[in-house]
Amino acid sequence: MKRFFSRYHPRFIRSLVYMLQASEYNVRDYVAWLSRVEDFTLVEKRRHIVITKKARILLVTASACLFVFYGAASAMLFLFEFPKGIILFSAIILFSPIILQYAILVPLVLFQVFVQRPITRQKIKRARQKLEKHPAIKIGIAGSFGKTSMREILKTVLTEGKKVAAPGGSHNTPLGIAAFVDTLKGDEEVLIFELGEYYPGDITALCKMIDPDIGIITGVNEAHLEKFGDLHTTAKTIFELADYLGHRPLYVNSDNEEVKKFASKDHILYGRDGVDHLAVENPHTDLSGTSFVLTQELVHIKVQTKLLGLHHIGALSAAADIGIRLGLTVEEIARGLAKTAPFDHRLEPKIDQSGVITLDDSYNGNPDGVAAVIDFLASLSGKRRFYVTPGLVEMGARKEEVHREIGKRLAFAGIEKVILVRNSVTQYIEKGLRENNFQGEVLWYNDALAAFTALPYLTVKGDVVLLQNDWTDQYA
Amino acid sequence: MNNNKKTVAVIFGGRSAEHDISIITAHTPIIESLLASGNFDVVPIYITKDGSWYSESAMNNIAYFRGEYAERLVTQKKVHLLFDNGLKLIWPGFRQKIVSIDVVFPAMHGTYGEDGSLMGLLRMANVPFVGCDIFASAVAMDKVLTKQVISAEGVPVVPYVWFTRSDWENEQTIWRDAISKLHWPLFVKPVHLGSSIGIAKVKNEKELEQAIEVAFHYDNKALVEESIENLIEVTLPIMGNDELRLAEIERPMNKSEFFDFNDKYISGNKKSGGVNNQYSEIPANINRDLVEKVKEFGKKTYRVLGCEGIARIDFLIDSQSKNVYVNEVNTLPGSLYHHNWRKAGVSGVELVTKLITLAFKRFERDQNTTYTFSSDILRKVGGPKKN
Repeated sequence: MKRFFSRYHPRFIRSLVYMLQASEYNVRDYVAWLSRVEDFTLVEKRRHIVITKKARILLVTASACLFVFYGAASAMLFLFEFPKGIILFSAIILFSPIILQYAILVPLVLFQVFVQRPITRQKIKRARQKLEKHPAIKIGIAGSFGKTSMREILKTVLTEGKKVAAPGGSHNTPLGIAAFVDTLKGDEEVLIFELGEYYPGDITALCKMIDPDIGIITGVNEAHLEKFGDLHTTAKTIFELADYLGHRPLYVNSDNEEVKKFASKDHILYGRDGVDHLAVENPHTDLSGTSFVLTQELVHIKVQTKLLGLHHIGALSAAADIGIRLGLTVEEIARGLAKTAPFDHRLEPKIDQSGVITLDDSYNGNPDGVAAVIDFLASLSGKRRFYVTPGLVEMGARKEEVHREIGKRLAFAGIEKVILVRNSVTQYIEKGLRENNFQGEVLWYNDALAAFTALPYLTVKGDVVLLQNDWTDQYA
Repeated sequence: MNNNKKTVAVIFGGRSAEHDISIITAHTPIIESLLASGNFDVVPIYITKDGSWYSESAMNNIAYFRGEYAERLVTQKKVHLLFDNGLKLIWPGFRQKIVSIDVVFPAMHGTYGEDGSLMGLLRMANVPFVGCDIFASAVAMDKVLTKQVISAEGVPVVPYVWFTRSDWENEQTIWRDAISKLHWPLFVKPVHLGSSIGIAKVKNEKELEQAIEVAFHYDNKALVEESIENLIEVTLPIMGNDELRLAEIERPMNKSEFFDFNDKYISGNKKSGGVNNQYSEIPANINRDLVEKVKEFGKKTYRVLGCEGIARIDFLIDSQSKNVYVNEVNTLPGSLYHHNWRKAGVSGVELVTKLITLAFKRFERDQNTTYTFSSDILRKVGGPKKN
């Protein structure tokens, strides 16, 4: 009912444009969001519309459309006799918002097909040509999760002996990469790219653009499952990198079960036990960081990093091995590994004035990352641990299974307080907790903001608070 | 979901110099902690500087009190109180609403609140309330009375002289003479005000005269006491009725010569949202003997004054002689000193929940005390005279 009537609210057009903007003008994501909205006046929760040129054109066009609809409806009253006129009038008024929510896509699609795509193609072509001539070693990283961590670790380690460049943020689409390539000077020795996968064929397209010399597959899991439908399709898309590379070196994360199924003997496996010929000894982790020793007959690298959790060992080992492959000395590699540290919102520890330790893991929203973090929390003894989450997004058909598993892991880890944000998935976390005889306390809040506001009043000195994942409006 | 929510009325603002501080205490941490716990329905009651009572749920957000809220209140209806075997709030009008209050959380500093007046009202209403009762509140509000009561029970206090405005005006020589026998420099304080308002440190007669004039601007009773040189100031929040729980001993690291209003509430208040804590050392780095003395005198003072719920005891320590003196008692510490309790392992939610439990326990205990008894004296009044 609310859903239906909120379409007649003056805010409706603004909401539609905001939804398009927040979905990055992706038609599929926008349509999927449309089907979920319960109240069109309340879609702007976490952020607000930014009035860009594109947004303004859409606002004006949509308003004009609505004006035309109402004009047409009024015309019906004059053109047709009673009752036909009034029926047509009512029908147009009634259906116009529903038509509008799709009609707004027409100028957008026209713009994308006739203006944006040719420009994009041109930009990508230029970038490909520039990269073809660029002498640097190119490394491509694919995977459902852990790409940014891998990129940052590699960059930090390789920078000790090479001139390295990599796109910042999450620039992992052809257009983002093209913009980055534009900034290259030509003297870089190593280029590191994240390869974003949203739909089948994406990785192949990026490989054709970059032509990587070395590949890394960090893992396959349920991230973006709603777009892929099933894990097999996700894995096939990610392994497009393996198909493209042929006999060129490909590092594959053996800590991830799904990836292992697809790995062949030609691939170089890396994980908590080490990589290829480098073995891991004496692994240890706590709130101050992680340490271990990488050994081979002649090589002995003592690793001390500020990164938290044993799950980083695989990526650190792979970075060391790539360093050796590219000719870095053992000293340079050890120095580089020592410089690796948590990056923004990825298990980044902060201690406040009251002595509460917050681990900001709000950019980690995938099941493997969550499992690794809960493992890490489980290893912290003598601390009261708070686990705060709105759950994970885009888990598709595995939504319930994935969240019950999180509940189970939290129960086994003996977490003291679990703070859940009310939405469509957190009930399954609670179910998982209950099924596994959870001994701690569960606290519910209506939204993330309420949970964050409550936290300073729930915690005391020495407590560890983990903030897991963050939902933007399109997932609410 | 908690279907057994208690309704808590948080009363703040009021006819006091600390009106604005009270608004902060009420929200940070009281209302915000009560809401964060999910176990309470919170009814905010705001008393204006002229004594009018208002209540609306929007007042649960401190943002309400930023800007021109006084103008907004003019259009609001005042809330009425009903004492009907407990406290009820009435919003009069066509759609009259009545809410029954389970427990009151007073958050009023200074006059008409912390001085016991509000507690008297709540006792009359027969409703449980958080914190010290009327007697402890009234004594603690008077710095002189506090010294008199606790020193009679053997708690050390700094030597002092006190007088009223008329004493000073009529018999100045006597008082000047008494003051001259104290060890200078001295502190001059209005007796009833909190938050260090109107307090001055004086080094000579001229400063003394000015300071007394200032003190009498705020109060009818003034206190002149010796200042401790080599001073370490510490404070200790305490919670409980019969069984006491101590927070950490806290040392305000004030920049100015003494801990004044600005230090307490303004300079340290930018990020923390509560009273001064950025300028505090928690726990205070003092030797073990001093820690033990502070704890002992703290608990003794709390009991002698009959404090219940929560209070904060302030101490002066002479770092050379190692003498510890109790300076004053606060029956409603600013922001409940929740920053200190957090470091002592008590979260805001645990703090307010515990205080509410203590309020119910005291209420229950008092309900079992008999205040009336049957007599036939009235029947006999005016009756035939017996021989």
